[in-house]
Amino acid sequence: MPDSVQSNLGGTKPFPLATKPFAPDDEAALREALKRCSPSTFEAAVQFRKTGNADHMPAVVIGVIERFVEPDLRSKLKDADDDLRLIEDLGIDSLTMMEIVILVEDVLQLSINNDELRNLRTVGDVKTFIDCKIRGLPLPRPTKFLPIEHIGAVMPVQPPFLFLNEASVSSTGANGKYKITGQEFFLQGHFKDNPVMPASIMLEALGQLAVLFLLEGAPTEPGKMIGSNTIFFTGCEGVRAHRMCKPGDILTLSVKLKRMKMPLATFEGAIRVGQEKAVIAEDITLTFAFVESAVAPAAIDGVAQPGAGDSSANPPLRVAMNA
Amino acid sequence: MPRVFITGLGFVTSIGNDAEAVASSLRALRHGFELYPPFQKPEIACKVIGTIKGFSTESTDPEDWTWPAGYEIKRETIRSMAPHGLYAHCAFLQAVGDARLGEGDVSNRDTGLFAASGGSPMLTYFHHDRLLKLGPARCSPLGIVASIVGTLNFNLVAAFRIQGASTGFSSACASSAHAMAYAFEEISRGRQKRMFVVGGEDGNRDAILPFAGMRTLSNQSNPDLASRPFDAARDGFVGTGGGVVVVLESEDEASRRAVEPYCELLGWGQASDGYNVAISHPDGTGSRMAMENALAATGIAPSQVDYVNAHATSTLIGDVSEARALRAVFGVKGLRPAVSSTKALTGHGLSLAGAMETAFCALVMRRGFIPGSAHITRLDPECEGLNIIRSTLPNAARVVLKNSSGFGGANVAILLRRS
Repeated sequence: MPDSVQSNLGGTKPFPLATKPFAPDDEAALREALKRCSPSTFEAAVQFRKTGNADHMPAVVIGVIERFVEPDLRSKLKDADDDLRLIEDLGIDSLTMMEIVILVEDVLQLSINNDELRNLRTVGDVKTFIDCKIRGLPLPRPTKFLPIEHIGAVMPVQPPFLFLNEASVSSTGANGKYKITGQEFFLQGHFKDNPVMPASIMLEALGQLAVLFLLEGAPTEPGKMIGSNTIFFTGCEGVRAHRMCKPGDILTLSVKLKRMKMPLATFEGAIRVGQEKAVIAEDITLTFAFVESAVAPAAIDGVAQPGAGDSSANPPLRVAMNA
Repeated sequence: MPRVFITGLGFVTSIGNDAEAVASSLRALRHGFELYPPFQKPEIACKVIGTIKGFSTESTDPEDWTWPAGYEIKRETIRSMAPHGLYAHCAFLQAVGDARLGEGDVSNRDTGLFAASGGSPMLTYFHHDRLLKLGPARCSPLGIVASIVGTLNFNLVAAFRIQGASTGFSSACASSAHAMAYAFEEISRGRQKRMFVVGGEDGNRDAILPFAGMRTLSNQSNPDLASRPFDAARDGFVGTGGGVVVVLESEDEASRRAVEPYCELLGWGQASDGYNVAISHPDGTGSRMAMENALAATGIAPSQVDYVNAHATSTLIGDVSEARALRAVFGVKGLRPAVSSTKALTGHGLSLAGAMETAFCALVMRRGFIPGSAHITRLDPECEGLNIIRSTLPNAARVVLKNSSGFGGANVAILLRRS
């Protein structure tokens, strides 16, 4: 069995917490390890080590990340939401990510495989990841980036009524983009000599992204999958349109799963154009059903389906391999 | 063939951390030696090194280091550095300012960087010990680029976004002289317009103590007597570290930017002893041939050379060997250029030495003096017949020869001319 497969499987096992009592020596070592972190980070780490209470974990992880972020970028982390991106927003490269991990491992007494790291793209990913490790929960499926060919292949909706150009799917939601080309057939009549993307179509686009999430990201039962021809719209609440969207605009769509219980899944959705809010939907609810899974789901882009094998396409420390 | 000029210098050395301090120490023959605390143990006979002042790099964690005010270095830059990477980074910033180079002058395909250092034994040991004791998962991902030979070029090329030629040189104590020589080649062959030549050494316990194992260090506990090249009572060299950067530019580039060069780098020569892995040839054969090759390559007659900055490190065999080589090139023709070894003041900078001392030569040519060979009370009779100057001469040399020699009997001679 190849190493990469082994370590992926190993990563889903519950992590055995240290059973040794927290001694004064440990506290001194912890203080030394966290000497460049805020006092509250140290306090949270002490509490975690004494009690094993995972509620202290986010403060430790954020405190460690903060310590490795250049001082002028740290303010971003102060009121960060979970979507704050490690590379793009915080300037953390893969080597710094390694440094963060080594310190987190040391402080929280857990071990993390290189293979597991490359899927961590946001602060939220890191928190979820560490939380799962500590609670012994299975690791969330990593964010998958889906090109248009893949979207077209799995979606029940097809052109000219497919309003996604690209998408990424995580275990908690999905993000997508759609560029209004001006060639959409309905723009000829909506409106006369004034093409404006219909709000109903924008809601449709969010719905399509939610469908993609159900097919590619949602938790399923063993041996089952969500049937692509079982998903339908049931309702929506709290929809507001804030901005007219016209040809040339690039819609940035996102849906987050709020609840999921057979046969209903409810999402919140939002569309932005650049930094401007375009559409908000507080609730979008779809109905779905499980079917027997005929074949194991295929790996996308070499990313991390246990057993899929080929993870060499995306080595974790490409930069170090320059050596 | 483009002519090559030295247009900028930067110094972090045991005798000063900027050109002003270095020039003043060289003129006054003020040494940079101190009793080194890690060596004050009964099992260590050597007591003195040339210390770097104003920096603190004892920790294996670069984030603990401190350096003089005025240098802004980010964590992500320093985290992969050895101590000498920090020294050289500061010297680099000085050299860029000294040569009045803008950002665009530093980062382009016509500007390269050649460097030389012995790597970082301290960090090699630290990271390797961790690796074996704790396993790879607990090791810094940057341990290797901070430690191995080449760390200097890796770090500086990345930090300053160098886009031209870059590599490192490894011929022990001739390394940065080789870097200088091949940087000259890059420009004189028209492949690059500008080259940074960088020498660096940690100069700490782990870098210097191995030479005690070789019995080549001075065991003198008096800092005023420890390094005395050419003196009859010399008993070995004194180690030192630091970082020095020299900016070389083509004539076109120097005149386009309207900068006044320190001097012209005329050319160079090299030859090997083919004799012993660590001991110089007793007759200085390789050193003599290197000097002859440099003179032949540049068309300079021995009679035109008025100052030789010797390699002489204050070892018993090495100094005599070089003295014999100098007699063969100059003395037998009745020529007596001034000779001195500035290692009497700085100590031996190992891979740093060639670049550091070439930079000294450029600096003193501009400042108009020739530094004396300090700490000689009784000249070694083997060195008689040479014009080894005991005090600083108040006139500038016009043509200077800089000798460097390294393990394996590698010898490099570099010729400079005041412009």
